[in-house]
Amino acid sequence: MKLKASYAPHIRYSENAQTLMDDTVIVLAVLYVMAFFYYGVVALHAGLVSILTCYLADCICTKLRGQKINFRDHSAIVTGMILPLLMPAGIHMVAIISAGLFAIVIAKQVFGGVGQNIFNPAAAGFAFTALCFPGQMFSYPMPFDRLPILTETASKLVRGPAYALKFGSIPTNDLVDMLLGNFAGPMGATNILVILACLLFLIFRKTVRWQLPVSFLGTAALYAFFFPRISLSPLQSVAYELMSGMVLFVGVFVITDPVTSPKRDSSKLLYGIVAGLMAMLFRQYGGFEDSSIFAVLLMNAFAPLIDLISEYIHKAVRKGGRAV
Amino acid sequence: MISKGIILEQYKEPALSRDLRQFTNAATVDSTFNGPLVEDVQSLTGEDIIEIARKAEIVDERDGVLLYEKLRTVKKGSITAVVADAIDDEPYISSQLNPLLQLKEDAIGGLKLAAKVLGVSSTYVAVYKNLIDLEMKIPTSVLNVPVKRIRGKYPVEFRIAESFNKEKGVLLIGVCALIHLCRAVRENRIATTCFITVAGNCVGNPANIEVSIGMTVTQILEHCGLIDDPTRVLVGGPMTGIAVKNTDQTIITTTTRAILAYKDDEKEFHYSCVGCGKCVQVCPEMLTPYMIYHLTEKKQMFRLSLYDPQQCIGCGTCSYVCPSRLDVSGAVKRAKQYVRAERQGGADR
Repeated sequence: MKLKASYAPHIRYSENAQTLMDDTVIVLAVLYVMAFFYYGVVALHAGLVSILTCYLADCICTKLRGQKINFRDHSAIVTGMILPLLMPAGIHMVAIISAGLFAIVIAKQVFGGVGQNIFNPAAAGFAFTALCFPGQMFSYPMPFDRLPILTETASKLVRGPAYALKFGSIPTNDLVDMLLGNFAGPMGATNILVILACLLFLIFRKTVRWQLPVSFLGTAALYAFFFPRISLSPLQSVAYELMSGMVLFVGVFVITDPVTSPKRDSSKLLYGIVAGLMAMLFRQYGGFEDSSIFAVLLMNAFAPLIDLISEYIHKAVRKGGRAV
Repeated sequence: MISKGIILEQYKEPALSRDLRQFTNAATVDSTFNGPLVEDVQSLTGEDIIEIARKAEIVDERDGVLLYEKLRTVKKGSITAVVADAIDDEPYISSQLNPLLQLKEDAIGGLKLAAKVLGVSSTYVAVYKNLIDLEMKIPTSVLNVPVKRIRGKYPVEFRIAESFNKEKGVLLIGVCALIHLCRAVRENRIATTCFITVAGNCVGNPANIEVSIGMTVTQILEHCGLIDDPTRVLVGGPMTGIAVKNTDQTIITTTTRAILAYKDDEKEFHYSCVGCGKCVQVCPEMLTPYMIYHLTEKKQMFRLSLYDPQQCIGCGTCSYVCPSRLDVSGAVKRAKQYVRAERQGGADR
């Protein structure tokens, strides 16, 4: 009888960090199917390039840092999948590759790899490309334009409804079309119904705590309700604000990143509310038509502070609990 | 207050439904202490019962405290009820619940004796509520003593008192200690045995057994039969037990609750903390296990005082949920020891 020594507890929850990431990979794959449906094979091509860039960069950097490469670590794949979905279909490959490299090398590996990064890699990569390619990042092809791979896009590029909102005009899109994703916008962020289904899946799989997306999107909706930018009814303002651009995608996939968000449920609520408010303010007064992802990036920096404050509060609660 | 914790599969069958067996050392099992056999149990005073508990060397299997000390140190009037603890909230273990149901007279007799010592009239039996896959039905009362089902996620053991908010205060005594108390009063027997659950996927005959203290783990595993070579043998429950390497030199003590033998091919799982915060969400003491883990890894012990690791109850919940399978609870335990040592050092100076 050869016995192993191990530490308690001797049973573990069946789900691990790999399944956590794979859940996100599964739902993002659904968005790729939708992108394929709307934009053709160019969507899959962009996704593949981005995933390969991120994964290879991650492996090389891990090796350079002198650590063992962990093939169960799929977090780089998630980053690689999120990036093209935030960009217009048919964007130049240089933009995708540079976003992936910035996300992995600068935003993630410099801080020490998975679990150590302060800023969400995908958000940082997107911010980098948005600053480098501002013209390309926010002009989108129309859905059902079959774009050619690897050649300069010859098709007509249009501005999305977020652009219209930015300049106070009323978007002309049909609301049902918007729910189905049939409007110009980022490659994966337009499929409103699909993203909502993904959110439900993630919440019921307990991969994502409901506090984050609900507080973020709820605050954004309340802001749009009370301070509409367009001369429509408040409810229409809410619908257009939430469905245009990438607010919903950010609320479901970017802000819920477990690494960069606060850990306690109460602090998650606070974090989501401030991020939602900031996202709407950025959209209204910022330079870009949709800068909600910059709000998340900014909030990432405050997540440790929120955690520290909640720790002081909980220390007081723990003391009080003992005294009773 | 919100009940934090985790839901565990209980796996109490088939050991719970099977008969309680005996596997005792013939030389010690019938040893008695000196003194006249009690003729009339009703005539005993509280002091007499405490003295009998002292002579019989009964230890409460819940916490390892001598029963007579436990009974003696209770302040008069501070409690209004005695509760026989048959919680067994860890998976596989049923070594309190099974003896309670099989040796009803002894268990309830002991409970009544303890109630007499403390001068209280209300008695309860506490049984865990989240037992779903049982082949038997838990009765609502055992010999007219009401069974109180304790709800809640694991760990529930330290929250039992909260369920008795009608009473001013409760004293919890383990069922096995009560059985020994009853036997000591009736037969002058010294508590030389304890009740354990033997289970796990390598054990051919999972059951609850009454075994003599001082037997080795090997003896017990051989008695129950091994159908396979185990890779891990645990003394205690799967959440808090200790994995032993040498079963010949590990002996049963008064607080041993279970022996579990598993065979599993656990793959190596290298993953660093992803900061998901699951440990924070489940910790029943509202601690921040991942932060304590980071600080002990980085040896930044001076920052530990903010995170109160000394309040850890050692339930292992944080390690159980950890998606990176890190030894979070081990780190918290080390931090707890460090903070305790620090405080005592400060007091000496």
